[in-house]
Amino acid sequence: MRQARTYSGILSGGISGRTGPHLLPLARIKKIMKKSGDDVKMISGEAPIVFSKACELFIEELTQRSWMVTMRGKRRTLNKEDVTSAVIATDIFDFLLNLVSDTGNSVEAAPLEMDISKSS
Amino acid sequence: MEPMDIVGKSKEDASLPKATMTKIIKEMLPPDVRVARDAQDLLIECCVEFINLISSESNEVCNRVEKRTIAPEHVLKALEVLGFGEYIEEVYAAYEQHKIETMQDSLKGGKWSNGAEMTEEEAVAEQQRMFAEARARMNGGAVAPKQPDAEPSLES
Repeated sequence: MRQARTYSGILSGGISGRTGPHLLPLARIKKIMKKSGDDVKMISGEAPIVFSKACELFIEELTQRSWMVTMRGKRRTLNKEDVTSAVIATDIFDFLLNLVSDTGNSVEAAPLEMDISKSS
Repeated sequence: MEPMDIVGKSKEDASLPKATMTKIIKEMLPPDVRVARDAQDLLIECCVEFINLISSESNEVCNRVEKRTIAPEHVLKALEVLGFGEYIEEVYAAYEQHKIETMQDSLKGGKWSNGAEMTEEEAVAEQQRMFAEARARMNGGAVAPKQPDAEPSLES
């Protein structure tokens, strides 16, 4: 049985309030990577680690942007439409546009900048 | 509890564990905020799509430099190309940290098995020391684990 690692001991409970690293399961990430294309090359053992962190940052950013939409609507529950709005409003999330519109949502979710013209 | 959440799309046989994802999501938000279930699911799907995107680009980068294995630097390049350049620094730091950790694990032996608990300060100091040692070792190019006799036996 492994000794409790100093690393996780220090980070839990937090310097920054975070409860430690959340490594997403590397095997699962590797699986998704392999399915991402037809001729995916071999994946080094370290690549999923990099992905794990990148995913974390991605989710954090998407969550944060979605939450800003929620706040603007003066609500305390983050819902699917908020996520959709965040995706639409962010350039680098363009690759998600199909995904968020596929989920059966009405794609009338207007980009945030266009709201003004609607009020009469 | 199902280890895998089937998200309903044919391509996504593998998805990410809901519990871990939920944790990450909740940490970003004030404690009293709730996340609708379908919003959670959508966030997870977006993450999988993100992996797909970066994977494809990493694959391209790898092709271009004519390597056969996708390595971390290909992934970092992909992030930059796709507009996620601001992630690079943190991602790289986490990667380095993980390497150190792995090195620490292979050093486990005398140091940690005495069972005595260190105070947090001592542990931090110890970790800093090992970090610096490991970095020096990496920079020097020698990857051999530390000998207990502490005589570096490099031929000069």
